[in-house]
Amino acid sequence: MKRLVLARRERPTRGGQPVAFLFGLVFALIGGALLLTISGDPVFDTYERMWDRSFGSFDTISATFNRAVPLALVGLAVSIAATMGLWNIGAEGQILFGATAATFVGRLFPDLPGPILIIAMLLAAALGGALWAFGPGLARAEIGVSEIITTLMLNEVALRLIIYLQTTKWKDPDGFGFPQITARPEQAKLGTIWERAHLGVLVALAVIAAFAWFMNRSVWGYELKIAGSSPKTATYAGISMRRKVIGVMALSGAVAGFAGGIELSGSAVRLSENISNGFGFAGIIVAALALMRPSGVAVVALAFSALQVGGLSIQTLGVSSAVSTILQALILFGAIGAAVLSTYQIRLIERKVTA
Amino acid sequence: MIFAELTISETAIIGLFVATIQFATLLFLAGLGETISERAGVLNLGVEGMMAIGAVFGFIGAVESGSPWIGLLVGMIAGGVIALLHATAAVALGADQVVSGLALTMLGLGLADFIGDDYTSDPRRALFAEVDIPGLSDIRFVGDVLFSASPVTYLAIVFGIAAWFVLNRTSIGLGLRAVGQSASTADAAGHSVVGMRMGAVVVGGALAGMSGAYLSTFVVGAWSVGVTAGRGWIAVALVIFGAWRPGRVAAGALLFGFTLALQSRLQPFGVSFSPILVSMLPYLLTVAVLIVISIRARNQPSPSPAGLGIAYRREER
Repeated sequence: MKRLVLARRERPTRGGQPVAFLFGLVFALIGGALLLTISGDPVFDTYERMWDRSFGSFDTISATFNRAVPLALVGLAVSIAATMGLWNIGAEGQILFGATAATFVGRLFPDLPGPILIIAMLLAAALGGALWAFGPGLARAEIGVSEIITTLMLNEVALRLIIYLQTTKWKDPDGFGFPQITARPEQAKLGTIWERAHLGVLVALAVIAAFAWFMNRSVWGYELKIAGSSPKTATYAGISMRRKVIGVMALSGAVAGFAGGIELSGSAVRLSENISNGFGFAGIIVAALALMRPSGVAVVALAFSALQVGGLSIQTLGVSSAVSTILQALILFGAIGAAVLSTYQIRLIERKVTA
Repeated sequence: MIFAELTISETAIIGLFVATIQFATLLFLAGLGETISERAGVLNLGVEGMMAIGAVFGFIGAVESGSPWIGLLVGMIAGGVIALLHATAAVALGADQVVSGLALTMLGLGLADFIGDDYTSDPRRALFAEVDIPGLSDIRFVGDVLFSASPVTYLAIVFGIAAWFVLNRTSIGLGLRAVGQSASTADAAGHSVVGMRMGAVVVGGALAGMSGAYLSTFVVGAWSVGVTAGRGWIAVALVIFGAWRPGRVAAGALLFGFTLALQSRLQPFGVSFSPILVSMLPYLLTVAVLIVISIRARNQPSPSPAGLGIAYRREER
């Protein structure tokens, strides 16, 4: 009797994750083409439009950069938590609560000059995100509660908090009864740097670079690496695991909350429950595809942003923008297959029959 | 006058509890599926996506065939098929369960949106009718709430009892639990770890799909984007709340179902408490329960399957 098994290769095939990512992309495009064909939509026109509206001109490239910002920041936030083997599934909620905190500051000081107000709002956003992730970090460090579930649950709480504010305390008096929050101060808008790209693009790049430097050059980063790879060694070396877990979760939340602040001042006019826009989940996939490396996160975030920006543009062709979501998920599944096959091979073996 | 007011409030109370049973059925089906999957050691964060797939296929199956039963079956099959993707990635290929599950949610929501595009404002309906249990349904109040539900509710109770029996009283159930506790031990004892786990994930997907189909053929009765409205995440929470045991998951489903019902049925009571704040309850309750479980776990074993979330590759044990 014969059967299929996964057997480890003597050495992984060359190329590694970039190849797996490209394989995933091809896998997704083929899968998407099949779907479009079955539903009778034009495959070539759809993909051409997506490319054109994401990378076709300077104008669209700059829009793609903008949307890559929250994706990259969330990817970074997830990577930060992953250094300690933790999962931050709550970026969605941290974005929302961060933006809520920024809105709070905007309402408190509506007359501050633009630059000062923006800085204050971004700081508030980071603090809000940190606060939203602090609880799960504390519960994980002190009594071992799974941060996966607590961060996930708090997403739904943050979402409902905004819906609550929308209809009550922060309801726009000039909204004609429509449940929306008053617009943030006009001067708290991030300036543009190139075409439509706003200042957030540079800020996000700086944050990513700072984190990469921090992980490789600072004492705290070095301790993190030890604590993440070998908790026992870390404990012997006198590193407090509890404080590392809490600190890393709060930092991860701060970066995600910061993304919420950037969205509020960069792309949105007012706080709404749509400001997180699924970035919190897509960012986890981005981080996984980038193997939790900051430089990889930036590249994958740009690709995902292009898919999302392109996805919005195909509606005018009569094609559902859901194609974009499907492609993003399929990339991950394709890359999983490719990554496994680069370290393993499928073999047909003879099943041993023991008497 | 007083009498008239009383009748109104009784209708409102019955309405609240009828809705509780409906939402509890919805949550229990998906939660039971996740329980089976997690007892085998596989966390599946794809419930929301599998539910959406079940909802869209359930609706299409029902309106195209004219029978909600066909819809329910189609929804189950669709949920099971899409779960196979998580089973392949996270079990057979050993990818990270968290990432694979989240990607499944993304894929499920996207696919449901894409496939359901032409059915979004479809006026056709093929809905389940309430089934009155002879004799019992005539009992005042109790009859309306418990013995005049949709057939899916009764089916969910049967499935729940069957799942409890299989998990706790059969050798298949013992094997499944062993695989979830310690994959290498179960493997050494001759159980197929990969087979058991993949099977559990697919059964879990079918139940989540059934839950979604129930949504589009009875509770809401139609398909629209976002019809699942985050209830898949509540189902994930429910499993922890119910300590991975079908009976307690059912009790949790009733409690969480009640909070969902409160949101939509609060108005007749003239209560000024915001329904949005009430809707936070299931999530906050789950966090609270997790904390209590963890504090108690210092003195007694945790109810969580020991091998939950850990991929198994024979050569790496």
